[in-house]
Amino acid sequence: MHAFAEWLGSTPLSIAIQSRLWLTPLLQTIHITMIGIVFVSMLMVALRVLGQVRADEPLADVWHRFAPWFWTALGVMLGTGVILTIGEPVREVSALSFWLKMSLIVIGVISALYFGRTVAAAAGAAAGSVYSSRARVVAVATIVLWLVIIFLGRSIAYDVEIWESWHLA
Amino acid sequence: MRTSLKAVAIINALHIMSIVTVFGTIFIVDLRLLGFPNVKRSFMQMHHELLRWTWGAFGIAAVTGVLMFMVNAVTYHRNTAFWLKMGAMVLAGLNMVVFELGTMKSAPSWDKNAIPPSSARLAGALSIVLWVAVIVFGRWIGFTKGYDFTIPEDVQFDFPVQ
Repeated sequence: MHAFAEWLGSTPLSIAIQSRLWLTPLLQTIHITMIGIVFVSMLMVALRVLGQVRADEPLADVWHRFAPWFWTALGVMLGTGVILTIGEPVREVSALSFWLKMSLIVIGVISALYFGRTVAAAAGAAAGSVYSSRARVVAVATIVLWLVIIFLGRSIAYDVEIWESWHLA
Repeated sequence: MRTSLKAVAIINALHIMSIVTVFGTIFIVDLRLLGFPNVKRSFMQMHHELLRWTWGAFGIAAVTGVLMFMVNAVTYHRNTAFWLKMGAMVLAGLNMVVFELGTMKSAPSWDKNAIPPSSARLAGALSIVLWVAVIVFGRWIGFTKGYDFTIPEDVQFDFPVQ
């Protein structure tokens, strides 16, 4: 993986990204703005399950309000994230935080897809529904999952400090 | 704390987690002021439900931000991007005060309207622009901190200073 990262880092595309010094901060800023939309979209759906926001709306309506924002912002994050990774491949593959983050994103995306299908199947649920304690636990876990993803994203830059000997360099 | 690099990293990550929550939640309220994307809920409902999350996250962002400043006060103090970020936050605060104390007084007469009055729409648009600016300048600090001031003459380096 390191050999591949070193090769990728020496390609003209990677060098083109590295040599535009304004590009990395710009992409990171877009990436951060989008995680705000991704995270808060999920937060709103989870808080609805917990009865903290939009308790007078059916869960399916809340999901349909936020799902397009969630998926669109996630798509922009994928684009900016791929360019950032091509620009600094060795830094990314050396970071345990990077691999943990990618694994948790896979879990987050699969659970969002599953949740979307479940909500569609139960679209008749009434406004003001109160959810089971199991659903509430899942809602809290979803909030924590996305917070950990943000945490790991930031800690890529501090991988040695956070993980010490677990750093993959 | 400067000596504990792990603490610095964790505080930095908490700062990001809280600022994106501030931005994401206030963005929903701002979009409602602009009459977008759906207007089934009244503005006051959204104001009531969301801004407590915004303020909670802002509190964490402020505490972690002060801690980050304390660790490297001199560097931040000399950093242009830092002052631009503070300026954008002051403007966002002024925008909020003007809106909360002025425009919002008349909210009962328009809060169920699809399109709020122009002063409310202006406040929503300014809020989005200013909070994005806070994130832009915040990220910019990370790329200039330590580099955009001249090196004091009495500091000795092992390598030639250009």
